[in-house]
Amino acid sequence: MRSSERGVDELRMLGLIIRREFLTRLRSRFFLIATALVVVVLAAFIVLQAFVFSRVGTTVTVGLVGPAQSLAQPLKAIASPVGVTVRTRDVADERSGRDLVRSGDLDALVSGEPAHPTAVVRDSLSPTVESALNQIARQAALNQALTSRGVDPGAVGSEVAGARVEVTALNPDVSQRTPRQVVGVVVAIALYVSLLVYGNLVAQGVVEEKSNRIVEVLLAAVRPRQLLLGKVIGIGLVGIVQLVVVGAAGLLVTSRTQALQIPEIAPAAVAAGLLWFVLGFILYALVYAAAGALVSRQEEVGMVTMPITMVLLGSYLAMFFLLANPTSPVAVGLAMLPPLAPVLMPVRMASGDAAVWQVLLSIVLTVATIAALNVLAARIYANSVLRIGARISLREAWRGQR
Amino acid sequence: MSAAGLQVVGLAKRYGTVQAVRDVTLGVGPGEVFGFVGSNGAGKTTTMRAVIGVLVPDAGRVLWNGEPMTFATRRRIGYMPEERGLYPKMRIGEQLDYLAGLHGMSAADAARSTADWLRRFGLGDRVRDQLQSLSHGNQQRVQLAAALVFDPVLLVLDEPFAGLDPEAVDAMSAVLRQRAETGLAVIFSSHQLELVERLSDRVGIIQHGRMIANGTVDELRGSGPRRLWVDAPAGWNGGLSGVRVVRAEGTRVLVELDHAADDQAVLRAALAAGPVREFAPDRPTLLDLFREAVNEPRPDAVL
Repeated sequence: MRSSERGVDELRMLGLIIRREFLTRLRSRFFLIATALVVVVLAAFIVLQAFVFSRVGTTVTVGLVGPAQSLAQPLKAIASPVGVTVRTRDVADERSGRDLVRSGDLDALVSGEPAHPTAVVRDSLSPTVESALNQIARQAALNQALTSRGVDPGAVGSEVAGARVEVTALNPDVSQRTPRQVVGVVVAIALYVSLLVYGNLVAQGVVEEKSNRIVEVLLAAVRPRQLLLGKVIGIGLVGIVQLVVVGAAGLLVTSRTQALQIPEIAPAAVAAGLLWFVLGFILYALVYAAAGALVSRQEEVGMVTMPITMVLLGSYLAMFFLLANPTSPVAVGLAMLPPLAPVLMPVRMASGDAAVWQVLLSIVLTVATIAALNVLAARIYANSVLRIGARISLREAWRGQR
Repeated sequence: MSAAGLQVVGLAKRYGTVQAVRDVTLGVGPGEVFGFVGSNGAGKTTTMRAVIGVLVPDAGRVLWNGEPMTFATRRRIGYMPEERGLYPKMRIGEQLDYLAGLHGMSAADAARSTADWLRRFGLGDRVRDQLQSLSHGNQQRVQLAAALVFDPVLLVLDEPFAGLDPEAVDAMSAVLRQRAETGLAVIFSSHQLELVERLSDRVGIIQHGRMIANGTVDELRGSGPRRLWVDAPAGWNGGLSGVRVVRAEGTRVLVELDHAADDQAVLRAALAAGPVREFAPDRPTLLDLFREAVNEPRPDAVL
């Protein structure tokens, strides 16, 4: 076979393996249930947060009678920036309006001229609506006063509208930092959990193929490196799909729940998260696969993957250190170490602390580590995966005695 | 040995201090069924794994049609390991498709071959079932199908008949024989020696990593000392030299002839003594040969 033919053929084999790994995991009931669960929990969490942080009654339903019906737009416009949604209904007359207030279908009934509005409520009027109505009344009264003195309210209005305070922030990022950090932390936690779950899936998949002896059948047709790579990529793609689904769901729910303001950083943070998932997963998956290849029974997987899990846990703990000391050189240095970078860098990037050169350096270091692991882990995998039986020591695996 | 087909020459492999296989030489021609026999740990699996290339031997060569085994050739070998060798939770149709693809078949060919083989094994309606939902016998069938689906030139089967009921054994044997007739070379191992005897064209016995017998069934069975069952009135063998009684059951005796002895002389002597009810050569079964080869005493050697 010419080498170009062989190359194409090997790619095809790789594609088959990736496809098999991807579809098998994607279709598993566990994946579907887990993803659905995460989405539901995330949505519930966000919605709950929105309720907790909002004022009493995020939505106020106001009935408008007669001339007050023209207040619908102004009311909504004034109330929405402070997070209160005003829903207005036109009501035919005062009496049916009061009935609706008594029955609770309306929170308030507003009637009268814009300059002299009256509001009928059951117990109390939402402060936002009250303040909005006051503002409207004053504006209307002002307009009338100006007109009666021969002044054009429109012209005065535009002069007045230009007056506002100019804010100079000495440290512009500080005010944005906390919500951005929160997003970064959420992404980092999602990464930590995903790396753990999917890394273990890789190890388990490797052991499953050993304990079923299917690896012998496969390796009679493909090379160990293709099998390893196919597994890593196939399972990694499942992880990406899950993260994209959860991330999109999270963004969607957050954007719909108006009380909670998403920092504009959120979509970028999610994108950074995906980048670091790809890098982090390839790194950890290669190690998990090599570890899995050392044993032949699922019961032993936990033992052999323990050190890897410890490192991942270490990155999770380091995150708290980073949050407490965002600019300390130790934290900055830690965040660039390849095993810790996937969890720590998203936090730094989201909170805006990471300089571009730091991001690039950490990416380069991680890629270099992956290249090294590609050789190291692949060798251990190739030497061990066909040796079925007792656990193989690292040294044996390195020396190799197929 | 002719150059066509599989040749294993001088294979050797050591694991730590254990010499698993030493100087193993065997050959399987196209269309031939080779039965590989040996106790557990004798070296069958090691040899087979060397043939399919998942094991690199310390010494020796594996040749196909006279050429060293290449990766391309290996992909035309169907392999069935001792246990399972398939994903328990994957649908059987998908698995066969997958393996066929990995062995170089196009998607369309793979699909067709998969459907074909599953139908042939009576599993056409279970294409979408997970492997683990099948009975043991059916799982073995699927395993064999997995080794056949990409139309291999050589089949390497490690204990393919283990745990099967007689009906399944017959079905599988029929398939193997039928494929062999179309030119497929088959090497398989089994502990069921009557089956090996029935199915194989040639047999190899391996013990402690060494081949101790290798030839056609007839050759092996005829390789031992000449023995005859003679049922004639007692005392007929009195005057004969080079004839030793090995076993006696009343007047029916098993005698062993040395090189010089003439079986016709034995017949004449028996006839001279009176009516001869039986005069037949005793050819050891493969089981007898095997037991002898691994130094277990034959039941009749007590005398």
